[in-house]
Amino acid sequence: MGGALRVWFRSKHTLFWTFAFPILLMLLFGAIFSVSEDPSFDLYVQNQDLISGDPSPFSATFVAMLNETGVLKLKMVDPAENTAEYIDEKGVERLLLIPEGFHQSCLTSNASIVLKMVPVEVDTASATVRGIVEQIVEIFNTVTTGESPPEVVKIESESLVSENYRFIDFFVPGLIGMTLMTTGIFGAIGWNTRNRELGILKKLATTPLSKFEWIIGVVLFELVMCAVSTVVILTVGVLVFDLRVLPNIYSIILIAAGAITFPGIGMVIARFVKETDSADAAANAVSFPMMFLSGSFFPLEMMPEFLREIAKVLPLTYLNNGLRDSMVYGNASSALYNTAILLVVGTVFIIIGSLITNWRED
Amino acid sequence: MSKEAVIQVDSLVKKYGDLAAVNGVSFTVNRGEVFSFVGPNGAGKTTTVEMLVCLRNLTAGKASVLGYDVSTRKGQQQIRKRVGVLPQDFNTFDLLTVKENLSYYKKMYDGGMDIDELIRLVDLEDKAKTLYKNLSGGLKKRLAIAIALVNDPEVIFLDEPTTGLDPKARRDVWNLIEGLQDQQKTIFLTTHYMDEAEVLSDRVVIISYGKIIADGTPSELILKYGGKTTLIVEEGGTEAHNILRKKFPDSKLENGDVLVPINSKSDLPEAVMTLNGNKIKFAELIVRRPNLEDVFLNLTGKKIVDGELS
Repeated sequence: MGGALRVWFRSKHTLFWTFAFPILLMLLFGAIFSVSEDPSFDLYVQNQDLISGDPSPFSATFVAMLNETGVLKLKMVDPAENTAEYIDEKGVERLLLIPEGFHQSCLTSNASIVLKMVPVEVDTASATVRGIVEQIVEIFNTVTTGESPPEVVKIESESLVSENYRFIDFFVPGLIGMTLMTTGIFGAIGWNTRNRELGILKKLATTPLSKFEWIIGVVLFELVMCAVSTVVILTVGVLVFDLRVLPNIYSIILIAAGAITFPGIGMVIARFVKETDSADAAANAVSFPMMFLSGSFFPLEMMPEFLREIAKVLPLTYLNNGLRDSMVYGNASSALYNTAILLVVGTVFIIIGSLITNWRED
Repeated sequence: MSKEAVIQVDSLVKKYGDLAAVNGVSFTVNRGEVFSFVGPNGAGKTTTVEMLVCLRNLTAGKASVLGYDVSTRKGQQQIRKRVGVLPQDFNTFDLLTVKENLSYYKKMYDGGMDIDELIRLVDLEDKAKTLYKNLSGGLKKRLAIAIALVNDPEVIFLDEPTTGLDPKARRDVWNLIEGLQDQQKTIFLTTHYMDEAEVLSDRVVIISYGKIIADGTPSELILKYGGKTTLIVEEGGTEAHNILRKKFPDSKLENGDVLVPINSKSDLPEAVMTLNGNKIKFAELIVRRPNLEDVFLNLTGKKIVDGELS
């Protein structure tokens, strides 16, 4: 027992899994699901019902009622904007359209609003937003007519996704993103720390191989590993779950960008943690929070504001968003935007990793 | 063996803060010789080697390998192409076979030795397809030496090549090194085993606390610093000691053995006759000639036991 306890205490890897990991999970989940701050959900609103350039009275009232919930964070869209183009350009997941003529239609109890959303399978927040809008519509109807029926305003729903996808189709892009992250970070760390411990790095440093060539080799190897992982996920998805989303050219470029980014992060970590045990613990400490804070499993709106701000600086956020944009929504411009961010981040980390990787020991 | 200097070191210093790991060493290694750098752990042997193979920067002094300055980028590039290095405590990819490991490292160079020929050279032909992790310690060292030879180097640096090996495996590595010497390779060997340096080396430099304390061929050093031949009367005990020290006052009693320094040709037969004449009982008589261990002991007052000063 005493010997086992000593071994346990001296193993940084084991200490992480025993103490730091559960504490990390508690802090993460506690922060994500904290009730100290009310959640708020983004809802884009385009009010096309104008009278002399100003919103009509009924439409203005409706928008004010939405705003007063305190749960919906309204983002007003210029009425002159082309709705479909705006949704594509901005990667909008929820948009409420108040069409022209809404005020007049309310007077004849024949009004409708169009709620364009991504399906609940993609975004669990959509269900919450829909529920809130339905409640507001019901209250609006009551206030307008003085009684519950008849319905003054009806809700028309439009899905922002053309295909009839299921949960697995929306889950797989996040799973690919998460796999690329763990493969890249753990792979790069493993190559550097383990090979340093064995003396392989020292031996290679005595050959004509340059540090930069070594790093590029590691990155290319991880690129291949990421490709293999992605193929495995997609193959299982297709054969077992009849997966309907498949990569296109944009998602392939994005996967390549991710495959460069995360090994770069791994190399930076490996510079500071020399032993394999410590390196594994450090890799877990970086990848686990990223996994949960990047929208892989929970919509960002469910998190407090400060966590949403943190998510904006996590590379996995952009990889997940980009993969969903390309594989599910077919939103090429958004996919390319996320790809560009990843390529910049990846290049920066590769350069930093190259500069600080300890090839010669001084 | 030629007198062309392939390694020249002049007042080499390596400091870490206030600690001088290498403190002003100077020496030359000639082409084709086996040159040993001997000393206990922490003496500065590996640090010196790592500066020569461009793994560490110099704090002060100059060094060149094959005429190339170790301090310049151009010199370092040229040195890396031309030398082979077996770092201390080196292990390679355990899930690659012998042949695959050699092929891997050979790809770092233009040209080099034929892999199959290299495998024959280190006598690993029947293990060519064996994974590294399944090799014994001695065979792993042989492969490691082979890896240091993939580029057919002019100078080979072997840093503690037999540490941790059993006696048979050590002998195998010695035979391998002797074979390389026959091929006119210049070998720079670091070791804390004095017997290894004595058996293998053309020249030996003894280093302690970062400074060179002796430099010469093994026989020169033994003659100069090794002391005298000693007659050991095993298990002679107090009785033998009391008798012998009447004629040999410098005799010592150590762990039941009597050590008698032999200063002249007549001392040895006289000591034997004294023992016989007094019917002294003993287990065995051993004539021990001085060796490099004695050299180190006489120079420093200490022995090296398992790499550490004692």
